[in-house]
Amino acid sequence: MIELHEVTKQYGSLTAVDRISLSVGRGEYFALLGPNGAGKTTIVKMLLDFTRPTAGTMSVDGISSKEPASRTAVGYLAENPRIPPNLTGWQYLLRSAELLGMRRTEAIDQGEKIVELVGMKGREHTKVNTYSRGMIQRFGLGAALMGNPKLLILDEPTSGLDPIGIREIRLLLESLKQQGMTILLNSHFLSEVEKICDTAAIMNSGRLLLKDSISSIIKDGETLEDVFVRLVKG
Amino acid sequence: MKTPKAHSIVFIVAKYTFADEVRQKSMIVIFLISALSVFLLRECYKGDYMVNGQALSADAIAWTLSKVIFHIIAAGAMFISALLTMRVFKRDRDEGMLSCILAKPIGRWQYVTGKILGLWALSVLFMFILHSIVTFITSLSMKTFIPAYLVASLICSFNLLFVVLAVFLLSLMLPDIAAFLCAAAIGLISLAVNGIYSLSQSQMGQAMMQQSAGAIPSGVSWWKALYYCWPNLFGTQLSASSLIGTDGGMPVYPLINVLLYCLILGVVLLRRFRNEDIV
Repeated sequence: MIELHEVTKQYGSLTAVDRISLSVGRGEYFALLGPNGAGKTTIVKMLLDFTRPTAGTMSVDGISSKEPASRTAVGYLAENPRIPPNLTGWQYLLRSAELLGMRRTEAIDQGEKIVELVGMKGREHTKVNTYSRGMIQRFGLGAALMGNPKLLILDEPTSGLDPIGIREIRLLLESLKQQGMTILLNSHFLSEVEKICDTAAIMNSGRLLLKDSISSIIKDGETLEDVFVRLVKG
Repeated sequence: MKTPKAHSIVFIVAKYTFADEVRQKSMIVIFLISALSVFLLRECYKGDYMVNGQALSADAIAWTLSKVIFHIIAAGAMFISALLTMRVFKRDRDEGMLSCILAKPIGRWQYVTGKILGLWALSVLFMFILHSIVTFITSLSMKTFIPAYLVASLICSFNLLFVVLAVFLLSLMLPDIAAFLCAAAIGLISLAVNGIYSLSQSQMGQAMMQQSAGAIPSGVSWWKALYYCWPNLFGTQLSASSLIGTDGGMPVYPLINVLLYCLILGVVLLRRFRNEDIV
């Protein structure tokens, strides 16, 4: 579903991503891990063509990430998502649907299901400026799910959520995985990643340190956190 | 799910841009104040005016006033248009709509074109409503409808397109307020250039140049060059206003000048935005 080949991104003299090659298969639940500044968000931005790689190629579903068509079946939740404060959560969902070319009746049907799915039933018609950060996060996730994407790119989806919210999102993502959705997750919540992801890649200073299945990464009684700290510090 | 057609995405983005601007309280306040001010101007049509000791006819008063107000509204609309445009890109970025839109199968040209169309449509509507109020007042005063006034308003809409494109482009490179000030400077220079050019073409100006023989001509030629090369916003306004009343034919050059600038700015803006990092 996702292919990166020798991808490099430089900002002046700073190398944010250094010759990274990796692939994420269809239906895979993939975690991109690394400390702040490791280059995870840069990779996500390049996948969405928010910024162009300095070198290398990347594709989504076989289409170069430079082409808008590569985002046809992609849902994206940004780190710290924002929604225009003068809209309601419901209006935001409908906007997302319309931008995807969905018919209004179809958008309303799916919107109602999604509002329930993200646990925001009853709050969807109030203005976004009355929402907490966690509620914006949920509507952001809801908007990413509009149009039934094949690939979901989530940048820190549980930041700002309380423990119950984190658990609900985890269960939701697990159910999406059951439906065959490919999920790329950027997260610092290593315990969550350990519970739900199939594969993980660990990055540091723009370089890929490790990419393997979670079961292969965690050995000899170690947790994912232990491996992460050992690799990043070592 | 079917992929939407390119032009329908442009119109969706334009629709949301228009709706978001209209929702802004500041926009509503500006519009109401402008409409009220224009409406209050109807009192000016009722006064008695004397020129060289002779009373002006009601028709002459109506024509003159409607022309003066035409220019004030057209210039004011450019100012408002620049104010609206200068913060659009930043607001979309700050409120998350930019990443929301561009994370979908939407090209950057579609986003930019939609933004331009939405802002242009709003600015044109703003100006057209104000001009329509003046048309209504003038028509009542003269007891005859003046469609040329509205045609002139539509011609001035190309000035608004120029302002939207210029401020949008400048706001990608400069702070918002600097983009606004640059656009305002372009308009003011256009006003000065047109004033000097018109003076140089008038009988009085010609006489002055002949009197001061060698000194002025090189300066005048600079202004002439500026008149032809600088974005001729005020010239377009003057051309459009020549349709109102009996000034004769409409000079086409200023309009061509502004349209050419719009084309150039549009191309540069699309190229610039294509390489912009989305944060």
